[in-house]
Amino acid sequence: MPRSVWNGTVTFGVIAVPVKLYTATESRTVSFREVHLEDQGKIEHRRFCSKEGEEVPYGEIVKGFEIREGEYVVLAKEEVEAAAGDRSKVIALEAFVEAAAIDPVFFAKTYFMGAGDAGTDAYRLLRDALGQTGRAGLGRFTFHNREYLAAVRPLDDILALHTMRFADEIVPGSDIDFSAPSRKPQEKEVEMAGRLVDSLHEKFDPGKRTDTYREAVLEMIDRKASGKKPRKAKEKPPEETPDLMAALEASLAGKKG
Amino acid sequence: MPRPIWSGSLSFGLVNVPVVMFSAVRDQSLRFNQLHEPDGARIETKRFCAEEGKEVPFEEIARAFDTDDGKTVVITDDELQEVAPRRTRTIDIEAFADLADVDPIYFDHPYFLAPIGEADGTKRAYQLLVEAMGRQERVAIGRFVMRTKEYLVAIQVRDERLALTTMRWGDEIRSTDGIDTGGARKPAKAQLEQAVALIEALGTEWDPPAWEDRYRARLEDVVERKRKGQTIKAPKEATEQPSPVPDLMAALEKSLAEAGSGSGSKSGSGKKAAAKQPPAEARDGDLADLSREELYERAQKEDVSGRSSMSKEELIDVLEG
Repeated sequence: MPRSVWNGTVTFGVIAVPVKLYTATESRTVSFREVHLEDQGKIEHRRFCSKEGEEVPYGEIVKGFEIREGEYVVLAKEEVEAAAGDRSKVIALEAFVEAAAIDPVFFAKTYFMGAGDAGTDAYRLLRDALGQTGRAGLGRFTFHNREYLAAVRPLDDILALHTMRFADEIVPGSDIDFSAPSRKPQEKEVEMAGRLVDSLHEKFDPGKRTDTYREAVLEMIDRKASGKKPRKAKEKPPEETPDLMAALEASLAGKKG
Repeated sequence: MPRPIWSGSLSFGLVNVPVVMFSAVRDQSLRFNQLHEPDGARIETKRFCAEEGKEVPFEEIARAFDTDDGKTVVITDDELQEVAPRRTRTIDIEAFADLADVDPIYFDHPYFLAPIGEADGTKRAYQLLVEAMGRQERVAIGRFVMRTKEYLVAIQVRDERLALTTMRWGDEIRSTDGIDTGGARKPAKAQLEQAVALIEALGTEWDPPAWEDRYRARLEDVVERKRKGQTIKAPKEATEQPSPVPDLMAALEKSLAEAGSGSGSKSGSGKKAAAKQPPAEARDGDLADLSREELYERAQKEDVSGRSSMSKEELIDVLEG
């Protein structure tokens, strides 16, 4: 039975939907710990005062915001929490936008939103109505002492809540500067590239692709643990593309053959 | 120009484009430093070896993995790279899919790709991908290794550049087993129609700049008030929850009536909700001229709940509304 991380209420209009949030994703990356190369000793991160050069106990550490070089406004934990926002545990859906119109760049973290202990009728109603309209509900909520913008949308038979990034956190493309080629790609090249895109088209199926590097790293660790030499990978780095048209033609030919 | 965080090549069929990667997100949150309370000096973190109790230079730190049978295996960066030498330098495009088929649950971190160097062929190949992909609502699906992790990625065109989003693997999405999804019963047809009508009435365009980070604004306000020597108190935790409505149909009708009586037009009601924080100059002159303290006094008179934690802007919003 999964454990919920937040219990509250979603409202739309005057309708209240009791909900519970659950973590939806988890990293499966092989994780390592830091050790000292010489003696495999555990690495500890210790805090020192930059003025005295002495180690500082945790209780003597405070949070400071630098307002001018070397000048800080010190805030206590409760003072930072005062900025948290509405603590009513209510996500009021204020606006409904076309879900497909939201660029992937805005989605931060996803949670599953299940029905709460009462009011499953309202839960199903919200989920099915969102599904029928293709819209996502936008609202604010406070989670771990911080207010987020959230988008609520149906995902199969459940609702998903995505925390959203704000517009000023997104780097505009114009910040990524590079010069244009002396001549644009020719129409024929674009058309051929388009055909290559078509020939590689498939229905997105996340189950089809697995993290093969994770498996390879675990195998390498296994071999090393039993004193064997790691296997050399047989991959070749890609070659330069001196002739774009020839590369496109060869790619298309390879795809057919 | 932001700092590149990875460089390598983007490989598509037999076409290879040397590229460099930048984060497409910039952290705007307030940066706090750890300070030593008695003397206000900055805290430094040092790495120590627990065995010897000595500080360890960065070059002497390695990664260790503890196996199930209790062995510790020390791994170097070189060994990690040798596991997949190509993938640490190449983003291999394996397929193209429809953007609509990729659920946002997979999206992790957004980046931009830019061509490296001045070679005309590189820039032209990059441009070719932008044009070929931009014409269709397609995303390229590929993979590559950065630091110690392999990423599944989606590449699409944004702002006439290639935008890469790292994704979670299928097995990194948890199962929904055991979560209450409200049962299998379908909502009554009339209720569903009303709910759809309500959502459409509150429908609006997705307009990202209309949504401000109010948390950041409040935190800035807290810092400012503290600087002036004011006292800051955390608001109390609310315990009461809105109770589920006994009659869904009646609640839907009431909600629809309210949504309709708002600003009238379809997009208007949503816009009104989204644009709760107009810029200061667009505000009601009288209230905007008052100090936060004066606004707070007014809020006290009107018994506005949660007023002590509100910023000046929020107090104006509440008092205007």
